[in-house]
Amino acid sequence: MNEVLNISGLTKRYGTLYAIKNLSFKIEKGTVYGILGPNGSGKTTTLSIIMGIIHADSGNFKWFGKDPDHRTYKNIGSLIETPSFYPYLSLYKNLKIITEIKELPSNEIDRVLGLTNLLARKHSQHITLSLGMKQRLGIAAAMLGNPEVMVLDEPTNGLDPEGIAEVRKLIIKEAEAGKTIILASHILDEVEKVCSHVAILKKGKVLRSGKVHELLKNDEMVKITSSKAKELHEALVRGGWQKNIEMNGNEILLSLAEGKTPGELNEFAFKNGFVLDKIEIIKQSLESQFLEIIK
Amino acid sequence: MKKLLNIEFIKTLNNSTFKLIIILHALLFMLLVYFSTKIDISIPGFKVSNMFMFPNVWPLFSWYASWFNLLFLGIIIIVLTGNEFSFRTSRLMISNGISRNEFLMGKLMLILLISAWGMTLIFLAGSISGFIFTDKLSLISFFENSHILLIYFVQAIAYMSLALFFANIFKNNALSIMMYLLYFIMIEPLFRLFLPKAIRPYLPVKLISGLTPLPEFFAIGSDDSMISINGKSPLELQGINLFPESIPTYLSLILAVAYISLFITASWYIIKKRDF
Repeated sequence: MNEVLNISGLTKRYGTLYAIKNLSFKIEKGTVYGILGPNGSGKTTTLSIIMGIIHADSGNFKWFGKDPDHRTYKNIGSLIETPSFYPYLSLYKNLKIITEIKELPSNEIDRVLGLTNLLARKHSQHITLSLGMKQRLGIAAAMLGNPEVMVLDEPTNGLDPEGIAEVRKLIIKEAEAGKTIILASHILDEVEKVCSHVAILKKGKVLRSGKVHELLKNDEMVKITSSKAKELHEALVRGGWQKNIEMNGNEILLSLAEGKTPGELNEFAFKNGFVLDKIEIIKQSLESQFLEIIK
Repeated sequence: MKKLLNIEFIKTLNNSTFKLIIILHALLFMLLVYFSTKIDISIPGFKVSNMFMFPNVWPLFSWYASWFNLLFLGIIIIVLTGNEFSFRTSRLMISNGISRNEFLMGKLMLILLISAWGMTLIFLAGSISGFIFTDKLSLISFFENSHILLIYFVQAIAYMSLALFFANIFKNNALSIMMYLLYFIMIEPLFRLFLPKAIRPYLPVKLISGLTPLPEFFAIGSDDSMISINGKSPLELQGINLFPESIPTYLSLILAVAYISLFITASWYIIKKRDF
């Protein structure tokens, strides 16, 4: 079974407002799947539904090809929203509760506390931890039992740059070990650096999804400078060369339509009598694509 | 079951509010017991110490303890359940593989344990008092009326089940405690005023609190000189109709168990349907 999660037509409404609407996507085993979207796009709602915390109004989802029950979640590590722990309990006792639920040996606690650099604070009360440490504890909890699948909602929230780098390293290490990681984030850089696949959400709908590098490749931008920019712009639009096209003075910025290459564009311009002063290929960052997509 | 108990033990035995309430509960109850045994009233034909003898001590101490059920034990359950919502640890539990039924079951186990703790306190206090004050000790007098401990146990469960229901509805400790107490002291008593007299004793608070009724102090405190020919004290209040006729104990128990089932079912339904 290569399919870890299959979400089909998931809808959740709060009053008249749709948190997610008819959401569908599949996650394959061994992928690091980013769910990317601005605040309020439905990322946490989606993860909360698939982790059994909230109920969907309609639609369904299957974990490992089956309808989930509470036992399913024992094999999934999760960090949903702000990590929630008992503030009066020590780190050890908080994690002990999870090992009891998941029926794991207690030595797992030291292992994950070591991985997240929290071992020295093992007996500190949770309330005494900094925000970053609490976040790391959340990740430690998700790693208990070395689960095959981890669901992480904004895992670098509240961390300093060093902490962010550490957590990303941890996630990449887990991914390299063949784990499936579902990561919700509004930080584009994070998704670009960590994820192999991405689904971009806006207002509870998937706007685009696929492999991160393919999404990037498909959206290479070509920047052309020509003294006859206006005429060239018209010719390109007529010829259907663009997915998106913008003109600013002598400069034209376009993302090429499916199947078209920058070389063919250059040839087209030459054959139609346009002299290109400059042709430049710009690999569009996920950030600019993201902003463009959710515009 | 063992797993759920372990989890609840980690959560509760390390909770300072829980420890404080439990210690306060035991301390105040023991103090009440101690000071009440020191009361000295001089009424001809009435001996205060008779109230602390076997078997009179069981209904008396159960009645004392019932007040603490309402105040302390109910509030403990509200705090422990409400914490799960205010700390959002209910999410942690569910997302790590506790089912919604197990989530409720954990709290029900706590209710049973706390009720057993309350019953044990009465048993200990009653035994000590009985052994000190009873002139002619016998197994019969020790066990007579001791069934009221089980009735107390049911009452404690009933109070805490209602508290659990309020905690699940309101999710907020302060609001739940306020509504729980208001229900007892204002909402139901007011509601009762608008109902026919025949129905009033069957409302939850009236019925549950009636499980451990106010003992007939004068009857149980009467000395031998006041016992009439038919074996009953002329001061026995039921006899002179100062108190209205109460519901038979067996019926009260059955209805209390029905109310417990109702409160638990309502809590189960809320938890099942709730988005955590």
